[in-house]
Amino acid sequence: MGVKMMGARVQRIEDPKLLRGEAHFVDDLTLPGMLHAAFVRSPHAHARVRSIETAAAKAVPGVVAVLTLADLWGQAPKIPVLPVVDSLKPCLQRPLALDRVRYVGEAVAVVVAIDRAHAEDAVDLVEVNYEPLSPLPSAEKAMVEGAVRLHEAAAGNVAARWTHEYGDVVGAFARATHVVRERFKMQRYTGVPLETRGIIATTEPVSGDLTIWISGQWPHTQRALTAALLGIDERQVRVVQPEVGGGFGVKVDIYPEDLVIPMVAMRLKRPIKWIEDRREHFLTVVHAREMAFDLELALAADGQILGMRGQIISDQGGYLRALGTVNASLAVTGLPGPYHVPSYSAEVVCVLTNKSPCSPYRGAGGPEATYARERLLDVAAQELRIDPAELRLKNLIPPESMPYDTQLVSLEAHHVFDSGDFPAGLRQALEKVDYAGFRQRQTAARAEGRLLGIGLCAYIQIAAVGPYESAEVRVDGAGKVTVVSGAAPQGQGTGTALAQVVADQLDVPLDQVSVVFADTGRIPFGVGTYASRNAVMAGSATMLAAQTVRKKATELAAHLFEASAEDIEWVDGAAQLVGVPGKSMTLAALGKAAAPGGSRPEGMEAGLEARHYFETNTVPFAFGVHIVQVEVEPDTGDVAVDRYLVVNDCGRMINPMIVEGQIVGGIAQGLGGALLEELVYDEQGQMLAANLLDYQLPTSLDLPDVEIHHMESPSPVNPLGVKGVGEGGAIAAHSAVANAVADAIAHTGARVTETPLRPATVWKLLNAEPA
Amino acid sequence: MASTHRITLTVNGTSYTRDVPPRRLLSEFIREDLGLTGTHVGCEHGVCGTCTIEVEGATARACLMFAVQADGTSITTVEGLACGDGLHPIQEAFHQEHGLQCGFCTPGMLLSVKEFLSETRNPTADEVRHAIAGNLCRCTGYQSIVKAVLKADELWER
Repeated sequence: MGVKMMGARVQRIEDPKLLRGEAHFVDDLTLPGMLHAAFVRSPHAHARVRSIETAAAKAVPGVVAVLTLADLWGQAPKIPVLPVVDSLKPCLQRPLALDRVRYVGEAVAVVVAIDRAHAEDAVDLVEVNYEPLSPLPSAEKAMVEGAVRLHEAAAGNVAARWTHEYGDVVGAFARATHVVRERFKMQRYTGVPLETRGIIATTEPVSGDLTIWISGQWPHTQRALTAALLGIDERQVRVVQPEVGGGFGVKVDIYPEDLVIPMVAMRLKRPIKWIEDRREHFLTVVHAREMAFDLELALAADGQILGMRGQIISDQGGYLRALGTVNASLAVTGLPGPYHVPSYSAEVVCVLTNKSPCSPYRGAGGPEATYARERLLDVAAQELRIDPAELRLKNLIPPESMPYDTQLVSLEAHHVFDSGDFPAGLRQALEKVDYAGFRQRQTAARAEGRLLGIGLCAYIQIAAVGPYESAEVRVDGAGKVTVVSGAAPQGQGTGTALAQVVADQLDVPLDQVSVVFADTGRIPFGVGTYASRNAVMAGSATMLAAQTVRKKATELAAHLFEASAEDIEWVDGAAQLVGVPGKSMTLAALGKAAAPGGSRPEGMEAGLEARHYFETNTVPFAFGVHIVQVEVEPDTGDVAVDRYLVVNDCGRMINPMIVEGQIVGGIAQGLGGALLEELVYDEQGQMLAANLLDYQLPTSLDLPDVEIHHMESPSPVNPLGVKGVGEGGAIAAHSAVANAVADAIAHTGARVTETPLRPATVWKLLNAEPA
Repeated sequence: MASTHRITLTVNGTSYTRDVPPRRLLSEFIREDLGLTGTHVGCEHGVCGTCTIEVEGATARACLMFAVQADGTSITTVEGLACGDGLHPIQEAFHQEHGLQCGFCTPGMLLSVKEFLSETRNPTADEVRHAIAGNLCRCTGYQSIVKAVLKADELWER
């Protein structure tokens, strides 16, 4: 056996071509005869579409076609909601608007031209006759009695509402010594990958089959829904995902353009490319996070939590899209988090507004729920005059309760925490950050008029979802190993991680392994990359497929040596007859021997290869503690992050370097949400932050160095013992930073209930008139 | 069709002469006319830094220049960093320190770092953070990029 790869800080096999500028993202692909599309989009948040006049646009030289919904589809399909709840009302979007638009940027028609510039010129000449209707810019306004109804099916503009409860909530609140109440709001923000969305579709001339290259995250689902909504067989569609420049969940959707572009390609029999521009991205990418929480916490005199109850209002935007219910589901099932909450009742209400539709973004309901709960715990600590760390330690689920059944079942999974020592994680973080010392420094600083704050956040993350992922492992006659998986990463380094898993199982050097992802033409079934599922799902599938290959190689070697499999041992990557050093076959020799036509044991299929589907709906849960120290500038409200410490437990780590990259990257996005980012709409439903100047992403000057400490509680629910790590940073950072700012200014009487905490917001909190 | 202008410029040591419409962006020209797709386009309004290239020895945003403005200039893009099949020391440092995830911002980031390290020896982490503040990255949180730049300072003999 060579150097063990599992757990090693291996440099990524993905890097060289990305560094040399040789990787291919969708916009880097060019096909012969390719045309370019641009979309006519609604300037109104809410309007009736009276007519669409395309003649002037069609007359522009270089324009090939201008098409509306009626031109493309006889019977217009609607994009379905995939995870459904009983109360769901059909508030579905068509690929192009039929007779009504419900958010600024909604696609109304498509222009196809010889290049993008000509297509964009002609977009301005398409005359759409709109009858503006009154817009609903917020959930509050949408829920007002008598508000205009956005979808016929949704009375009161409620697309869905449901409740989760367990335990004796009424009794808990009757018994409680303290009841703490607060309303928290999280703003609308989203992933904003640096590569916008994009798609190329073409029909292959010989077969007539459709090939799609898309900047996405779930090619096999894309194939299934594209085929269904275009009315063709799934076998006629191939979806390939090239390099993807960040996804963060917002590319897990069936967007209107994803259907229009293939339809146009089939109609015109020409390759069609559409690349979203940055303004379109802000207007039409799925948004997330906008939720309001009305919460009550029942506590005993000593700070023991007795129960939690409340309501979540989720602002869904103008339509429910494919995963439109997921954020609400994970928020309402995620509120109790890593704490023992003996009784619970919460309702979630999905409300339609005239804004871009919402769908999962990194953490998907987790950041929202964690923020509301962790802020509420700090408010409770303040009201009960208990230290917030002590309150958390008192209520974290103890290790002896593992596995811990939360009694909550989301649309994704039954939430049973599989392993971990949560109190030990918090104690370790407090010790590493010198929490007691900080409190002394904080008191001393206050005497000098300086505002130091410390924020704690303990969180749990649903760290993978089912129902399966695929992996195929094949050894060729040169001993090269190819892994093909239905996973569809966007820069996470999954290729390196899977290569590490295979290298250990087959005892081959890493550079002999190549990994192919996200091509429905290469593997028939696959799910994709979201919900931090790659290491758990694709990793396990790869491990099990590699084990099957190893077993097959062993049996083949035994057959060729006329021995039994028990007499074969693996030495330096070769199968050797026990005790006979000369009698040995390399993996390459076995790969060659396994080719059709060779001698094999009876019943053994040709080819040194195996395919495995790792099928499960029992998923692991990762845990972590984030502690942030900030200083608030009293005169300006500016927040400086002085220190950021993480104790993270994502089970066994395949590659700690990649794990840490995921944690820090997630923190950047959560911190951006806590302090900077907001998709602001005005009262008319116009987006005021549709570019990178008005929507402020964190730069290198906004982010701290993060200190990370690992715990490794192996997960018992998969063979690698791993848990997902992609979302924890984004889940925890928003809450930890908000809590730190709140802590810095709490003694002034200011209570933080909304984010982002931009300087002006913090200044206003500091200078508010006493109520 | 709009009129075109003939321009001649040098990119990564190769001279090109092409006829371009006046409104063609330099980023489009490099990517589509020359086929050098390593230069990425992230916002087309000069904020994200993804399209950063080197024009006449100084960094420039290719999305904020017209191709005709680059007539007569010498340009370096990410494809011109490494010699042969290897990696430039800055690229090697990014590889060693996990200074990239999706890799979309990386070409522009590398060009900004090259300019910075050409002018600065033994920088502090804070100086590095200021040097890359005009290049957005959504994946790494910048920490590993800062480490990579400090590593590149060690590796790059200049």
